[in-house]
Amino acid sequence: MAEEKAPTTTQFPGTIEPQKPRLKKAPEFPILEKQNWLIHLHYIRKDYAACKALIKEQLQETQGLCEYAIYVQALMYRLEGNIQESLELFQSCAVLNPQNADNLKQVARSLFLLGKHKAAIEVYNEAAKLNQKDWEICHNLGVCYMYLKHFNKAKDQLHSALQLNRHDLTYIMLGKIHLLEGELEKAIDIYKKAVEFSPENTELLTTLGLLYLQLGIYQKAFEHLGNALTFDPTNYKAILAAGSMMQTHGDFDVALTKYRVMAYSVPESPPLWNNIGMCFFGKKKYVAAISCLKRANYLAPFDWKILYNLGLVHLTMQQYASAFHFLSAAINFQPKMGELYMLLAIALTNLDDSENASRAYAEAVALDQSNPLVNLNYAVLLYNQGEKKKALAQYQEMEKKVTLLKGSSSLDFDPEMVEMAQKMGAALQVGEALVWTKPVKDLKSRHRTTSANKSSNLQQPLGSNQALGQAMSSAAGFGKTTQLPAEQDGYNHSRLASCDDSL
Amino acid sequence: MASGSGDSAGGRGESTEVNSKWLDAHYDPMANIHTFSACLALADLHGDGEYKLVVGDLGPNGRQPRLKVLKGPSVLTESPLPALPSAAAAFLMEPHEPRTPALALASGPCVYVYKNLRPYFKFSLPPLPPNPLEQDLWNQAKEDRIDPLTLKEMLEGIREKAEVPLSSQSLRFLHLELGEMEAFVAQHKTQPIRRQTVITTMTILKKNLADEDAVSCLVLGTENRELLVLDPEAFTVLTKMNLPSVPVFLEASGQFDVEFWLTAACRDGNIYILRRDCKRPKYCIELSAQPVGLVRIHKTLVVGSTQDMLHSFTHKGKKLWTVPMPAPILTMSLLEQRSRGLQAVMAGLANGEMRIYRDKALLNIIRTPDAVTSLCFGRYGREDNTLIMTTRGGGLVIKILKRTAVFGEGAGEAGPPPAQALRLNVPRKTRLYVDQTLREREAGTAMHRAFQMDLYLLRLRAARAYVQALESSLNPVSATLREPLKLHAVVQGLGPTFKLTLHLQNTSAVRPAMGLLVSCLYNESLYALPRAFFKVPMLVPGLSYPLETFVECLSDKGISDVIKVLVLREGQSAPLLSAHINMPVSEGLVAA
Repeated sequence: MAEEKAPTTTQFPGTIEPQKPRLKKAPEFPILEKQNWLIHLHYIRKDYAACKALIKEQLQETQGLCEYAIYVQALMYRLEGNIQESLELFQSCAVLNPQNADNLKQVARSLFLLGKHKAAIEVYNEAAKLNQKDWEICHNLGVCYMYLKHFNKAKDQLHSALQLNRHDLTYIMLGKIHLLEGELEKAIDIYKKAVEFSPENTELLTTLGLLYLQLGIYQKAFEHLGNALTFDPTNYKAILAAGSMMQTHGDFDVALTKYRVMAYSVPESPPLWNNIGMCFFGKKKYVAAISCLKRANYLAPFDWKILYNLGLVHLTMQQYASAFHFLSAAINFQPKMGELYMLLAIALTNLDDSENASRAYAEAVALDQSNPLVNLNYAVLLYNQGEKKKALAQYQEMEKKVTLLKGSSSLDFDPEMVEMAQKMGAALQVGEALVWTKPVKDLKSRHRTTSANKSSNLQQPLGSNQALGQAMSSAAGFGKTTQLPAEQDGYNHSRLASCDDSL
Repeated sequence: MASGSGDSAGGRGESTEVNSKWLDAHYDPMANIHTFSACLALADLHGDGEYKLVVGDLGPNGRQPRLKVLKGPSVLTESPLPALPSAAAAFLMEPHEPRTPALALASGPCVYVYKNLRPYFKFSLPPLPPNPLEQDLWNQAKEDRIDPLTLKEMLEGIREKAEVPLSSQSLRFLHLELGEMEAFVAQHKTQPIRRQTVITTMTILKKNLADEDAVSCLVLGTENRELLVLDPEAFTVLTKMNLPSVPVFLEASGQFDVEFWLTAACRDGNIYILRRDCKRPKYCIELSAQPVGLVRIHKTLVVGSTQDMLHSFTHKGKKLWTVPMPAPILTMSLLEQRSRGLQAVMAGLANGEMRIYRDKALLNIIRTPDAVTSLCFGRYGREDNTLIMTTRGGGLVIKILKRTAVFGEGAGEAGPPPAQALRLNVPRKTRLYVDQTLREREAGTAMHRAFQMDLYLLRLRAARAYVQALESSLNPVSATLREPLKLHAVVQGLGPTFKLTLHLQNTSAVRPAMGLLVSCLYNESLYALPRAFFKVPMLVPGLSYPLETFVECLSDKGISDVIKVLVLREGQSAPLLSAHINMPVSEGLVAA
């Protein structure tokens, strides 16, 4: 090479024109890949206009032989949503260079985007023959199988993708498949591994947190959601889920500060305003609660959970006519929930429409499986109407549910409900030593020690409800108190509902 | 969102006029420099201690490649280039005095080396070995032992299977029509088969000393997936390494004779790390997006990706951290302030920001009037810490880092997001609302009853009206079994003349409707219809027939009325169906 030094110095850039043909009859061919690097640079900087102009020029010069120019053109078509055109171009790339696995991969990707999963799988298999150890091929095959509902094959492919190279995306897909199959535990295992691999991925952290939340493992759920929030304090899902957990624990102020971040970035989110509304409800700021819930309802008029909460808040505000409207709207969207009918029945009771109220209760009792409150409230109504026998039947039904619940979980019963039930039992002259007293004894000792406080607390709402009590008939004492547990429970439920929402 | 986050960073990272860390040395929006970071180099080209800026300029639209050398704010020399430059670098060729660096400019398949700004040497990439089978075929063609069709078939076969790709001559031949082949073969058969590749990226690697001014080798990345290391004096290929994809960005560290690492960001979205004594990549980082910039700081790599993220990896490919960017990254470069031992990453973003990061911490944001497309930091003129930026529109920005400037630790975006301090926008409720609430509490039952009562009445009336409409064919859909018809009317125009279009459709499955009439009933003092009564053609099932008629409004009082359209069967007085058209107010006459 060194001997070239002398001659080359004479024919230098400024002076020569390298394109000048030396042999007149046979012009030299331009190097096909001459400007690939520039095309690529324009492409990665998203300067698509310049990129397209360059590709056009390059294709003219090489008479459509420049593979990379066509490849990038196809990629840009795909970004613009012209998937069919991109597919055709990728196919012509594959013709120009059949040895290149990338071309086949992109053909398959376009087929995948067009929803032709089977065809995509075939092409991916072709590509896999050219390039055995490609993470991307395995991953995409897995995703294709997932959409074709061949979950086992999909899992195999995704696992082999993970063996080749670990990527967050593969973990997410694998987790999704487990969720589709309903295997929550396995999905959690996968997400755990994923979080170990990339501890800063907020999407993974949030998903894992939400899964724990579904399983009721609140400690871990909160831990992961909190981690997600440290890495990205504006993460929508994490804020909503963490906020709803704080609400369940009564930390309304902390939840509200978290929601402020979201209210700034996603001001039109219905679940957000629903949760904010229920925060205010928890803080007993009912007017603000109604404002927020109404905004949520305005943003998502067909969401029954928001309507449920609106009904609940209006019941608390003793606006029974309004509550009736919200609850009946909620029932129109969700006709299969016992609690909704129960709340409707409470509203109707207060509107002096006991006939319809008992019909609503009947519906509620028929639909509900596990909530003893429904039966208790119904029993109270029946008792007030003087139908002692039916009331007794409902009371016994309630006792069954209570024993069932006690067996299955260690959930605390609302003390107000317990008290109410005891009163009811006394009124119906059911032996006190029967089933009901047991759970009371078995309730955590905390209840006992604080029972004095509780009762004094109870007195206040009772007092404040007196105005309403007057409007009620003879056994007003019972009628009044039943709403409180009912509302309380509904409130709990509404918060659970809001958790579900954010999933 | 972008402006919001920008504002939030205002107090921490951003340079404001008053406490800016930078002096604005020069800004020329019309400098007409269009280039990439790889084509910028700072060097003391004349050995006089005055550093110049070398720009491999693509020219507007990439049409006029030029080599520009800038001194201070002005262009010192400018010379045209034969092809677009892909990279520029200044390097020391020999250890002797005077130690003036040479300038290397990669362009197409060549590296042009300049000394003292005079052309010194041209290095061309060695041609690639042609496919022996292909060579053989063309030799046969040369001796006319093979006809063009067979040649084409054989070449096709090679293309399908062979490891070594075909030359552009053969590829062009394969795309020809039957008639053109003969001529092509006759013209080109005497030419040798050639395969040439081009340089995609270039960087420099110290030869055997780690000093600042030590002799360096050129490292070239080529389109055929190779990395070449050139000898600085003889320009021979010292070593050749293979990559699985085409390199886009290249970083080198260490010394060639001792131990070195080459890091190549490639077009398949992967980053490969190679070491001395291995011909294949030692580590591979899969980004799952295209890299847009690669910067090495000591033993960590910082990569910008097309997903608007900065990723950091160790030199063994382990992921360290990720920082999201508010806008697409256009270019990246290294900021090295030797006096304070600071090394940071600069990233030019599409929203006109230039951000400086040390590890995860944001140190500084510079706002530029246009998006920055290339960046360079170093000694320029006689000033040690100069930042040179060129913008998308061809502008040139030169800033000097103040000697007193210290990039504070913890200047990044930490703590709770600022939005947390904002008040919640809870809708207020009016006095009226509270009064209504109280009223509802007092008279809830009565309200409920009244409402239920009215609701029942409303339903009853609706049902009655519906029955009446059905009985008197007042609705626009005929329900009789014999003549299932649908009518739909459209009024067009501002007035006083309107066009009334009736879309009449026969909804029966098979039977055509014949002998129908349309009659319009209207207030004759208000409207005039030239055709108030006309026959309907035969209606084929399924098709919608537009029947047009004009309506003239006679009143100028801005009042409007209803026009009744009746569809009748010939010989029957009861209408099959009818439509009430609420005419709009004639705006033409009212305005006049």
